Parts: sequence; C-alpha cells; structure tokens
Amino acid sequence: MTVLPEIAAAPAEPLFRAEGLHKRFGGVHAVRDLSLTISRAAIFAIIGPNGAGKSTLLNLMSGLYAPDAGRMTFDGRDLSAMPAHRRARLGLARTFQKIRLFRHLSVLANVLAALHIHHAIPAWQYVFNGRAFARDHARAREQAMKLLAFVGLEQRAAALAASLPYGEQRMLELARALATAPRLLLVDEPAAGLNAAEVERLIERIRLLRERGMTVIVVEHNMDLVMEIADRVLVMDYGQYLFEGIPAEVQANPAVIAAYLGA
Amino acid sequence: MYSGRRVGYLIAAAVIALLPLIFQDSYWRTNLTVCAITVMLAIGLDFILGYAGQLNLGHCAFYGIGAYASTLLITRLGVPFWIAFACAIALAGAAGMALAMFAVRLRGHYLAIASLAFAVIVHQVLLNWISLTQGPLGIYGIRPPPPIALPGLPVISFANAGNMFYLVAGFALLFYFLLDQILRSPIGEALTAIREDEVSAASFGINCAGWKVFAFGIGSAVAGAAGAFYASLVGTLVPDAFIITESFTILAMVIVGGMATLLGPVCGAILLTVLPELLRGFGDLRLVLYGAALTLVVLFMPGGMAQAARLIRPRLPGVRAKLLHDRAA
Amino acid sequence: MLAVAVQQAINGVVFGSLYVLVALGLTLIYGVLVQINFAHADIVTIGAFAAYFFTYTLGGNYVASIGVALLIGAALGWLINASIFAPLRERGSELLPLIATIGVSVLLQNAMLLWFGPIPYSFDSPYSNQVIRLPGGTFITLQNLIIIAVSTVTIALLYGFMRFTFMGKALRAVAQDRETAGLMGINPNAVIMLTFVIASALAGMGGAMLGPILVLTPFAGTSVIVKAFAIVIIGGFGNVEGTVIAGLLVGLIESYTTQFINPGLTDIVVFTLLLAVLALRPTGLIAEKREENV
Repeated sequence: MTVLPEIAAAPAEPLFRAEGLHKRFGGVHAVRDLSLTISRAAIFAIIGPNGAGKSTLLNLMSGLYAPDAGRMTFDGRDLSAMPAHRRARLGLARTFQKIRLFRHLSVLANVLAALHIHHAIPAWQYVFNGRAFARDHARAREQAMKLLAFVGLEQRAAALAASLPYGEQRMLELARALATAPRLLLVDEPAAGLNAAEVERLIERIRLLRERGMTVIVVEHNMDLVMEIADRVLVMDYGQYLFEGIPAEVQANPAVIAAYLGA
Repeated sequence: MYSGRRVGYLIAAAVIALLPLIFQDSYWRTNLTVCAITVMLAIGLDFILGYAGQLNLGHCAFYGIGAYASTLLITRLGVPFWIAFACAIALAGAAGMALAMFAVRLRGHYLAIASLAFAVIVHQVLLNWISLTQGPLGIYGIRPPPPIALPGLPVISFANAGNMFYLVAGFALLFYFLLDQILRSPIGEALTAIREDEVSAASFGINCAGWKVFAFGIGSAVAGAAGAFYASLVGTLVPDAFIITESFTILAMVIVGGMATLLGPVCGAILLTVLPELLRGFGDLRLVLYGAALTLVVLFMPGGMAQAARLIRPRLPGVRAKLLHDRAA
Repeated sequence: MLAVAVQQAINGVVFGSLYVLVALGLTLIYGVLVQINFAHADIVTIGAFAAYFFTYTLGGNYVASIGVALLIGAALGWLINASIFAPLRERGSELLPLIATIGVSVLLQNAMLLWFGPIPYSFDSPYSNQVIRLPGGTFITLQNLIIIAVSTVTIALLYGFMRFTFMGKALRAVAQDRETAGLMGINPNAVIMLTFVIASALAGMGGAMLGPILVLTPFAGTSVIVKAFAIVIIGGFGNVEGTVIAGLLVGLIESYTTQFINPGLTDIVVFTLLLAVLALRPTGLIAEKREENV
C-alpha cells in the first residue's frame, strides 16, 4: 500500500454530491438548502464571508453533524446515518479549523494513531506479538515517516506535538488526514496563520495530491491561495449558495463582491 | 519484547516470590493479598479512565458483581471454583459493556453520574434482594479456591495465606501483562486517541463508541476477577463492601499513581494500601488521607507518582514522549 | 387511603423542596462553570452540624441557626472555588476539577467522622413536635411548614434575582457565553465566585433544615447528593425551573415509594428514573446547542 494512493482514472460520475442540505442551531440557520457536486481529481474551494456556514458544511460532509434535511452521496454511497468514523473508512478525510492534534504525544505518534484503519493483525497477536504484528508495526512506522516527509516534518518525528510552531502543527494535521489514504480530502482553512513561504509549500502539496488523483475541498479565506489552485469555487453567504464557477468568474461576479464588501 | 520490559517482569515475579518469605505471619500475608486485589482493581480502572479517558465512578459495582456471581454460583449451584471464576469475569465484563453501551453517547460529567447511579442501584439491589444475596446479613463460610494436587508435588492448599498470595498476585501480574500488551498495540493507540480527542479520532476511522465499550468491558472484567478472589479470601461477603466509597478509593489510587501509565496505578495502589498499615492506630485516618492525597495530587501534580518520577529522572520524558510503538529496536 | 396519599404528598413536598435547594446549587454552578462540585453534599452536612452546634452548644435560636448555616455554607463555597476551581480553570481539563472535589468530599466526610463519630445526632428543633392538624385527617409539623415556607421564599427570591437584577442577568450571560460576557464588561471570575457562594449558601441552609428531619451523621449529605444529581439531570443541568419541578417530583416519588412499595427501594426507583432520562435525552459529543468551533 503506498502512502499517497494513485487513484485509478476516474469514472465520469461525480465523487460527492449534496442535495438540499439544511442545518440549524436553535434560531440560527447555519446551512440553508445547499447543493453541490464535486468531480474527481479536482480542487474545489468554498469561500464566503465569516459566518457563511462553510465550516458547518464541512462538518455535515464529514459526519460530525447530522443534517436536518437533505441528502449526501459519496461515490454513489448514501451517507445518511453513516457515522463519521465509517466515512473515514470509505475514503473521506478532513482537517480541522481549530488544531486538534494529540498534544501530549509525539509527532510520529500522532501520525501512527491516524493509520488506525490500515492495521492487519490477527486478534491473538495483539496480546502475543507474532510475526504479523512485527511486520505491521514496521510498515506503520515506514508509512508514518513517508507522510511526515511529504509535509516536510520528518526531522521532527520525535518532538512533542505541542512544541511545534503553528505552521508545522498545521502540516502535521495534514499528514494525519492523509494517513487514512482518502479519495476526498476536506481541508478547513489550511492557510490560517501560515506565512507566505508556508502557504507556497501548502499550495505545492495540494497540487501534488490532485495530480495523484485525490479530490480536495478547501475552505479558505486566503483569496490568493484560492485563485491560484482552485478548479472551481463555491461562494456561500448566510448559509446559502451564492455563486459557483471558475476563479476568474467568481472574482468578477457582482453579487460575490457585494457579499464581501457587506453591501 | 523489549529487554528492559522483560527484566521488569522478572523483577516483579521475583518480588512476588520473595514477599511471603519475608512476611511469615498470615496477617501480613493476607494484607499483601488484599494489596494484590487492589492492584487488579486499579489497573482495571486505569484502563478505562487513564487510557480511554472515561470517568467511571461505578467500578465498585463490577467488583461486587464478580464477588457475588462467583460466590452464588459456588454455594448455590455447586459450580467448581475456576468455572465460577471465569463466569464472574464474563458477567462483570458484560455488565461493564452494558453500562458503556448505555453511557457511551454521554459527555464526561453525564457518564460519571450515570456510572455513579449504576453503582448505587447495584449496591441497593445486593442489599434488598434478600432471597438471592441474604442482604445485609451477608454470605458466610466462603471457602478459598480448591487445593491443587499436581503429581509428584505436595498438595497446594489455598487456605495457606502464602499460597493464596502467590495465586492472587500471580493473576495480578498476568492481568497486568495482558493489559500492557493490549495498550502497546494499535488498540492502545486507538484508546489514547479517543482520550486525547474523540472528534479527530473519529476522523481517522476510529469507532470511538465501540472502543469505549471494549475498554469498559476489559476493565470491568478484571474488577470481576478481583471480586471473585476477594470473596474467597475474606470468606464473608456483605453488600457494604461495595459501596461507592470503594470506587473513590480506587480512583484515588489511580490518580495518585498516575493515570497516564499502567505502572503508576500499581504503585498508587500499593502505596495507599500499605501506608495506612504503617500508620497503625490511625485506622480512621485512612480515608481522610485518601481524600487529601487525591485532592492535592490533582491540584499540584496531576500526573501523579509517574509525573514525580519523571521529574526526578529527567531522562524519562524523552522515552515517554514517544508512543507505545517507539521501542529501541 | 386518600388521607395517606395526601399525607405522603405533603411529606414529598417537604423533602422535595429541600432537595430543590440543594440541587439548585449544583445546577447554578454547572450552568456557569460547566463543572460539578462533588463536595456540595458535604456542605449540606456541615450546614446541618453547624446549625446543631449553634442551637445546642451555643444555645442559639433555631431559626437563627439556619442563618448561621447559610453563612458557613457561603464561606465554604468561596473556599472551594478559590482553592480548586479557579486554579484548575487554566488547565482546561473537563474532569480534573470533579475528581478534585471527589477528594475533598472523601476528606470532609471522614474528617467529620473522626470529629463527630458515626452515631446519629438527634437534632430536634423546637418546632419538630408542634403539629398542625389539616382537613382530611392529615397533619403537618411546624418544622415542615417552616421548611416549605423558607424554601419557597428562597426559591422565589433566587428566581427574582436571576430575572430582574443586574447580577442575576450577568450570571445568566456568563452561563450562556463566558467569553462574550467578558467582552461586555462582566467579570466572569467574579460572577462565578458569586454563583459558588450563593449555591453553597443554599446548600448550608438546606442542611440546617434537613438536620431535624434526617438522620444526622457525617454521611447525611451523601444520601441527598445522589438524589440531587438525579434531580439536576432530570430537570436539565443549568435549568432552574426544570430543577424545581424535578425536585418536587423526586420528593413525591420517594414519598410514595416509601409508603406503597418498599422504603429500601426508593434509591433504585429514583436512579432508574435518572438512567431512563439519560437514555432518552443524551447529550452529544459536541453539544449542538453550544456550537463548538471545530
């Protein structure tokens, strides 16, 4: 199993589809009648002013929240009532806006924990470690180091996760999300708090992922990032669909400009 | 196995072998056996609290279920000891899983209170179901495990306090080994992930609810074994041996020892069992000490003795910071 | 038969209103701090003992002793918040403060055991034996009447405080959203301390009134606290009106179970109800009401 899967040439059917999603919290309508279609091997950006419901949408997609109404399908499979951990096994991974690293564990341990679904050990060997256990252990370490190398953290494997500077913590988040070998990766504000050089590296890596056949959905505020890498952009406002198109179209659209300027 | 750990187990086995030779009177030997039972309870709770991160205040209920289940099977149905023992473990483990399946969706405080309520209900049932348990009068004349006769060797009788200690301490070491192995495997990683942050753990495909139920099952099963041994050691069984104060006592041992490790609670259990004995004459002070120790440790050294050990031997953090997988090999 | 039922209803209301006093403290603390003070029960017990010694040893007036217990309770609340909850707040652990208060509870109970001994103290207020006859063959002791009166007035005052005074509104603001309340010029730490003091004062007062009608031992508080937990969960953590209703409900259930089923089973009934409520209304991992920033 390679670390970054070479995803087979895509069938024409879209990878992810949402129809009529609704989510309210008390009086707040966080997401309202939202539909979208995500094609394969693409970078899809979701932008919008603060409070537009972007993170809520990601949470609905990854299974953290259940929608009040609407349907979602991933690769043809209906996601209704599928809990978050099963979506991860299906090939849907995510990072979080607020960094959720295992702070008391090492960098390596953080990635190893994320490789959970790849273990192949007969039950009895969990207690009486045999050859399969040793092989699995070695393979997990190897995969973890490859993932760390991909995000440029292989030198920091033994460091405590909490001791990393903010930019490196974000990259560790990314490495962990990739550990599940997803076909669809949801990234929530990956560039937040990164300096220009770090953003550049991030862009490189997301592009690399797309080349390998992964689909990436990016929620971002950083417009330069979005315009540079996105194939398509969805603009949300007040929890609703506002506009969707290629970056150039989005930049020129008057409704989008109005929403951002708070007309 | 990492050679350092192998040495550790050998030392533990040697200590267990030597203790009854140092303490020849049956009073102290019985105390040591109680200590071994307490160690079992502590590592069971540590598995649930320190590794899966669930504040289970109902641990004493599974202790009691194990004790009563094995005793009733033996005295009422004439089941042989070791089969009753196995049943007690299974029953306590199943009860733990049942509580967990119910409580698994609950946030921390709610789970704590639900487990507390469960413990009170179990205690009250033991107290009031007189036809089954004889209530507050208790069950008397419980015999120790049957003697073992191996060909060519003298019969090993467990009425002998020294032999009883070997048996119980041996099982405690065995349970420690089993739990330690589990925790050093990907299962341990999953539990640690759940303890650290359930939301991201789920995003890695970890079935948090399922593993929490698993942790409760294992921890409660070990408590059940402890209960079975307790009944056959002490000879009489009353419901008040399993009031919720027992849960708090074990909690104190786990926290004082250091709940992020498996060895810590062992030390905590030994310390808090032995210390009151040394301060003899202050018998009633025992629980006051436990309460004070628990509060002070949480306030000033939440990692317990394990944290203190790390401070004294600064080389340890480098080792501890790497997870279970990182062995020198 | 009807007379018995009504009599038990009266008893239920008496105990229920005391449980409400104790449970209100817990729910106020949880609302504002999202933490549980496990030693709350022991404040109740200490309040009872304080009232006892004030009345018997110092020869004070019983009604005044309720005030004394209130003050002692308030002082303890201040102490516990200052020494445990405030320092641990920075650590951000959800469970550590609860564990610390379990330690405090064990410590207090057993210290009281050493000091006061396990033998119940007979605490008779001068009003315990004065009986008022009511229609239908039922009666109520003056003590119980005082309990109902004091509890009702206190609960009403508390309600008014929360609704209509600035401090009360500040309390509710901090309960809803501590950060924003802070930004609006409310000092959350001061509000939390005030909440603790009020909650613990209520507990102390409850203890003083419970003393004459419960068995007064160092463990008197324990029998009340677990029911208080049940009440708070049934009524909803942080929900004052719910706590009042749940408290009266639990008092009545207890009363009727004692009379018509079996006194030994009251705990089982109440806690099974608690577990049933938890089964039907569990709170999720991310309490979707307080939208957590993920």
